[in-house]
Amino acid sequence: MPNCKLTLNLILPVIAIFSSVLQAQTVTPAPSEKKHDAPNVAHVPDLSGPWAVVGGTPSWDPSDPRGLKPAELPMTPWALEKFKAARPPFGANATFDAVNDPVQKYCDPPGITRLYGYPWQFAFIQSPGVVYVLYEFTGLWRPVWLDREHPKSPDSTWMGDSIGRYEGDTFVIDTVGLNDKTWIDQVGHPHSDALHLIERIRRVDQDTLEVTVTFDDPKAYTKPFTGKRVYKRSSSPMEVTLCSLSEMQSFDDEVMKTTTVAPKK
Amino acid sequence: MKSKWSIAFIVAVWFLLVSSAVSAHHGTSGYDMEKVITLNGTVTSFNWSNPHCLVRIDVKDSKGDVKDWVVELAAPTLMTRNGWTKDSLKPGDEVVAETHPAKNGATTGLSGASTSILKFAVNGHALPFR
Repeated sequence: MPNCKLTLNLILPVIAIFSSVLQAQTVTPAPSEKKHDAPNVAHVPDLSGPWAVVGGTPSWDPSDPRGLKPAELPMTPWALEKFKAARPPFGANATFDAVNDPVQKYCDPPGITRLYGYPWQFAFIQSPGVVYVLYEFTGLWRPVWLDREHPKSPDSTWMGDSIGRYEGDTFVIDTVGLNDKTWIDQVGHPHSDALHLIERIRRVDQDTLEVTVTFDDPKAYTKPFTGKRVYKRSSSPMEVTLCSLSEMQSFDDEVMKTTTVAPKK
Repeated sequence: MKSKWSIAFIVAVWFLLVSSAVSAHHGTSGYDMEKVITLNGTVTSFNWSNPHCLVRIDVKDSKGDVKDWVVELAAPTLMTRNGWTKDSLKPGDEVVAETHPAKNGATTGLSGASTSILKFAVNGHALPFR
């Protein structure tokens, strides 16, 4: 009996201490205190880069990456009307005359999928709770959150709301909440604010990055489609190339207009 | 004897698949990408800025009139990665430059994109090209 009492006297304090420790670790923090816990993955692939575009694929249409038949991407009537109004600088409908490319005309942000098509680099900064994607062109960047879901009602913004996860050697980015002010590619294909993007990013080898993008936008396209592009690792450091409207307008006056209006003889 | 200031028109078939080269932010549809001409003249300005570097060259045409050519190159970051600097051209430099001329006959040309730069010789020395 005395041994049982002694044992209890030893065990009970231990249990009390351990319980308090357990309680401290399991109390759910208030939303504002939520920390970004590291994702439970055995291996995080190194996607750092920087990555440079290879070749010219101005269209995300998988059957027509060179944009030679841009009207054939299956669009809804709503999207087709917008596409016909576009005067893009690339593809079969390319023009220098009255270009209404929002990037060229207004220095508007190009949008996530269009950024993949410019001859400027991008890079990834990976941390446990968030991956930052940095883009040289126009100095844009976006966070990809690894520890939460999309908000129930995300705002419509230029870069949207992106969440991500690692699936083996592939980084999967899920994006919603995009406004409809951008083109998805260089040939003027539109999208709506219902666009849902899935990017699958995989480092094929030391110097090669494969990016596969699925576009799911029932308001603009009659069915989802998926395009794929390849990028090469660059030895050039990342730099920022800003879009200045005054510089764009000056260039427009000096070059674009002179090449569209017949010179006086 | 060919005039030092004359424009030498070298017509070459340029099997350049436009879409195989990553174009500038505005594409190349205003230029004749299957034609390359050579300009001989004097640099009057070299604007090393976005969206595209621009070099202006005074070139005498076949009639002896001086024409102001505006030649477009790639953005500064892209030109740097191809070995150019803001000092590669300066006012007063004598230059022999290849360019794709504007389709409409304007004295405007395209000589550089992100993946291609036509040949430039400055005061007798070649600048990087690809």
